[in-house]
Amino acid sequence: MLTVAPPDAIEMRANATFEALMWALSRPGDIRELPEAGLAAIAETLVDLECTVFSDDPALRAQIAATGALQADDISEADHVFLSSLEGAEARLVALRCGSALYPDDGATLVAQVRHGVGQRVRLSGPGVDGFLELSLGVSSGFWAMRAMLCAYPEGFDMLLVDGRSAIGIPRSTLVEVL
Amino acid sequence: MSLSSLTKPWSATSYGFLDASAKRELRRKMLKAIAVPGCQMPYASREVPMARGWGTGGLQVTLTLVNPTSVVKVIDQGADDGVNAASIRRFISRVSGAGETWDTLAASIVQSRHRVPEEVMREDQILVLQVPNPEPLRGVEPNISIARQMHADADYGKLWLTLYEQIVRKGRIMQGAGYPSMVNGRHVMTPSPIPRWDVPKLNMAKHLTFLSAGREKRLFAVPPFTRVEPLVFSDRPYQVEHHADLTCRRSGVSGYFMNELPVDGGGSAFEVSDSNLGIKAIQQAEGAPVEIGKTWYRNGEFSA
Amino acid sequence: MAYVATRGGEKAIEQAERLFRQDLGTIDANRVETIKQTMPYLIDRVMGEASLYSEELAALALAQTGGELSEAVLVLRAWRTTQPRITIARPVQQDEILTQRRISAAFKDIPGGQILGPTLDYSHRVLATDVLEGKPYAPPAVDAAAKPAPAQQPSLADWQRQQGLLAPTSEADVALEDIPDLTREPLLFPASRAHRLQSLARAETGGVLALGYSAMRGYGNAHPTVNELRLGEAEVVVRHPRGTEFSAGRVRVSQAEVTSKEKGGFLDLGFAATFGWNEVKVIAAATLDLNSAEAPVGSPVHEEFYLYHTESVEASGFCIHFKLPHYVTFQSTLDAMRDAKAQKAAAEQKGAVERQTEPAE
Repeated sequence: MLTVAPPDAIEMRANATFEALMWALSRPGDIRELPEAGLAAIAETLVDLECTVFSDDPALRAQIAATGALQADDISEADHVFLSSLEGAEARLVALRCGSALYPDDGATLVAQVRHGVGQRVRLSGPGVDGFLELSLGVSSGFWAMRAMLCAYPEGFDMLLVDGRSAIGIPRSTLVEVL
Repeated sequence: MSLSSLTKPWSATSYGFLDASAKRELRRKMLKAIAVPGCQMPYASREVPMARGWGTGGLQVTLTLVNPTSVVKVIDQGADDGVNAASIRRFISRVSGAGETWDTLAASIVQSRHRVPEEVMREDQILVLQVPNPEPLRGVEPNISIARQMHADADYGKLWLTLYEQIVRKGRIMQGAGYPSMVNGRHVMTPSPIPRWDVPKLNMAKHLTFLSAGREKRLFAVPPFTRVEPLVFSDRPYQVEHHADLTCRRSGVSGYFMNELPVDGGGSAFEVSDSNLGIKAIQQAEGAPVEIGKTWYRNGEFSA
Repeated sequence: MAYVATRGGEKAIEQAERLFRQDLGTIDANRVETIKQTMPYLIDRVMGEASLYSEELAALALAQTGGELSEAVLVLRAWRTTQPRITIARPVQQDEILTQRRISAAFKDIPGGQILGPTLDYSHRVLATDVLEGKPYAPPAVDAAAKPAPAQQPSLADWQRQQGLLAPTSEADVALEDIPDLTREPLLFPASRAHRLQSLARAETGGVLALGYSAMRGYGNAHPTVNELRLGEAEVVVRHPRGTEFSAGRVRVSQAEVTSKEKGGFLDLGFAATFGWNEVKVIAAATLDLNSAEAPVGSPVHEEFYLYHTESVEASGFCIHFKLPHYVTFQSTLDAMRDAKAQKAAAEQKGAVERQTEPAE
């Protein structure tokens, strides 16, 4: 009575990408491997016509447009924000959606390309971290200060930081101390 | 652009049953659920080929997670051979090609109704709990809009009052299964109707837990290393069921959560509720090379 | 004897399903076609509750469930889950519907006229037992009207708006993709009107009737007058990627507007529409919509109350789920109860001992 299609390449990629993102956010600071480098596969995994997306990359914008998602010109309208760099982005990112205490899920997902293992050293603690964890990320202390200001838990935004095929997740529940 | 570019080649059913947009919605909500542990995230909840209330919420989460290399264990009341557990496991494997197992240690995903397995779950494992009623405040506030506002305000006074009244009236907290618990110090959640015995297994666990209510369209999560604290008063410690001294009449194991079976002529017999743990104990006693993992309770004491 | 890892559960469910299906016998295209041809109103009801318009699939669902309505609706909704959404059709306008029945209880006559159309309303409900005695019932032919009614009929509400009886529509030009869709997003409260009407459109007929009737009897604050009841067929107009609009086919629809008292200088209007012809459902649903505005929380006309409790798949599923084993939760309750009793007994015992050892005055 039931005929089921085998998974195609897109399905397999989205499944593996999601698994990496899920574990990345479940264990903040841990590096997870994506099946493909870059942000395109993440967009494919998460967004479609139900979403409003901001992206600073024209190629990615075209790809997102094909999913039927609405393109936001303004970061404050977007539920998903894709950035090719976080450098000097604080001023724009102050507008990131943080949801409300009533609907914390309205807080945005920020997906950004960020170097892992270099740059500002930070200490992470909170859900998903056994004790605390220290690592270096190409994210400025100014950004972390802005995040601390915006994320009044349970309000806040959640970050997926991508370097090639590596992904690190930092949900709003994580306490980030700049070292 | 043509009409055909808007759609895809016809197939009777998508891989994993759910179509791509349903999976994307679940993925988005599952990530938010991880980001705000214990907070109920609303989702559209598609209809699946099972009746609402029969594990459709857990099923949607599992169907989003599975791939052909997954190994799935499904239990109902702790048993792998319960009729509904069998039905769900068979469905998952039919639509995904995932492997089936009864062994907690071999599973990549454990979908469960009313129990957490007795063997400690590892950091690479996912527990998916089926949730009939996701709202811990339902008993004190049936209106969900008001209850949601109470969560927003972290206003749990009415819930504390109910627990206090039980102590005054009955001498103890009478909550059976589904003991309300504070997650990450902020949101009170129901751990689903698992016995009190199982709630400590969610606290600072290594594995990831999703809890999903298909009928009520809410899902929430407990990430690894997250505090899950049953609501108790400092002078009235949390009490699990008095099962530490009971022995399974079939497998001989003791110190685990048991099913009570009334026997003719009065009295009760007991059988271990985690049925595959019992099976493995018997097989081991018969000399078979089976591995029993470390358990959360040892000699009836929680010690993870 | 060893604890045999029987697959008893799996065998039992397999056989139980076989038993059910064996009773229904072979299902073939003929049976499906017969159901489709002979039970149009049942098909309509199922399509409405499934929110899936396909007479053929609805007939198949009825055939394979033996007419167990909640099962038939579930099977269709589950099938619907697997289908991609290709496009969003243009909203249906009242005056574009190919109208076969349209009546108003608010006026003796209305622009375009009262069109009775097909109905049993004025028939004598007599069981045709002759059929069982070998005398087939052949319905007498309908006499064509001298002047056929036009296929499309104006909207009464439009006329009322022109007369200043109804509030002007805000006429917000909502883009098609911005219309909320209940099947792709969760129902939250207070619900958008789109979500409320969509939820009522796929609500269980009996449930909507029960709660709508409670409102009519006085558990609501507004007694409905049927402003307009309309049964007809609507074109499903979609846009080709190249930009041309075309009709992909027609669907049978019902819609009802009910009105009551004056509010803010205008008549208040409740509305409901659904796939298929189902008059009872749309009148009851429109009554619930009409009554929702000032409904007390927890009353049957409060939207959270009636939308949750008329959701057929959720309600029937939860109801039958109580057949599943609950012995773990029960065990947990038993434990707390026994412990409380034991504590109480111990306390009484201690109290008794203490009383005995009190020094005599």
